[in-house]
Amino acid sequence: MSTTAMRSGLIQGVIDGLPLLGGYIPVAISFGVIAVQAGFSTLEATLISVFIYAGASQFLLVAMVAAGSSLWLAVCMTLLVNVRHVVYAPNLVPYLPQSKAWPFLMHGLTDQIFALAHARLPILEDSRKVDWFKGVSMVAWLSWILGTALGGIAGESLTQQWPVLDSVMPFALPALFLVLLAPKFSSKLWSTTLLVTIAAALVIALGSFKNAAIPFAALCGALTFYVLTSHVDRKQFNAN
Amino acid sequence: MPIDTWVAIIVAAVGTYALRVGPLLWTQRHFNKHKANNTQARLPTWLSVLGPLMIAAMLGASLIPKAPSAESWAATAIGVFITTLTWRKYRSLGLPVFCGVVSFGLAFVLLG
Repeated sequence: MSTTAMRSGLIQGVIDGLPLLGGYIPVAISFGVIAVQAGFSTLEATLISVFIYAGASQFLLVAMVAAGSSLWLAVCMTLLVNVRHVVYAPNLVPYLPQSKAWPFLMHGLTDQIFALAHARLPILEDSRKVDWFKGVSMVAWLSWILGTALGGIAGESLTQQWPVLDSVMPFALPALFLVLLAPKFSSKLWSTTLLVTIAAALVIALGSFKNAAIPFAALCGALTFYVLTSHVDRKQFNAN
Repeated sequence: MPIDTWVAIIVAAVGTYALRVGPLLWTQRHFNKHKANNTQARLPTWLSVLGPLMIAAMLGASLIPKAPSAESWAATAIGVFITTLTWRKYRSLGLPVFCGVVSFGLAFVLLG
């Protein structure tokens, strides 16, 4: 692999990962604040972000530990929230060239990295994929770690000083998901399925099951997809 | 922090990593087996359909403003509209996200 190709893959990954900062840093700062309020030190909160590195489940774990829940129940709930990750890597495998680095890089496979990789890996040259993934996941991981540390040290004063930024920057995540998903609205079947999924996630997350919104909405979408495809198949069968 | 809390955090970290890496290793082995037999490996349809659906679900869940109000929902709608419009014109990644955040921010401040 040439140095130029390696560098450009890494740099491309870093550039593609930049929109994630708007979403990651404010949420990581909030996590740092909440963890310190729950009795963890800044170092402990940061280490949780280094090793677990899974947004919603970290909030849940810290809240349950602070509330004095059984530790094993807290661990089980954390893993239950993260179980959605099992569908991510298999969807990327068809686009991954052979490399021993992939298992190590999977620590960085968050929701947002999956969304980016699912859109970007199919169009990148094989020689740039490993470095691209390193670049994009390093930007995300470091911003999550630094945001947590910042939240632990000065989070409350930061969010009090710039309340508008705290409310505005997280819009980077839905904007990013929208851009990654936009090319999929290419047929009536996919447009309907995706709109049903988005609406279901919105409704479930507005209710009291925020952590279950993603897997349940995806299942609603899958059901819609199968109902629509079987309807089309039936129509084609009748036409013949 | 007590030692048992650390043990719980380490178990949660290892478990989360296993949820990410386990399916990778299994699917790679499945693909390599097909490659060795000179046959075409394919993901099960339900699994390949779930990929984009998970992204759509993340989009839906992340659309909810931090402090929901008529103004923040209107700002969200404006942000979505401008992001979509910019994507349709430029078909790139960074610019539509940037324009979306700026328009959301402006609408949030002006309407709020």
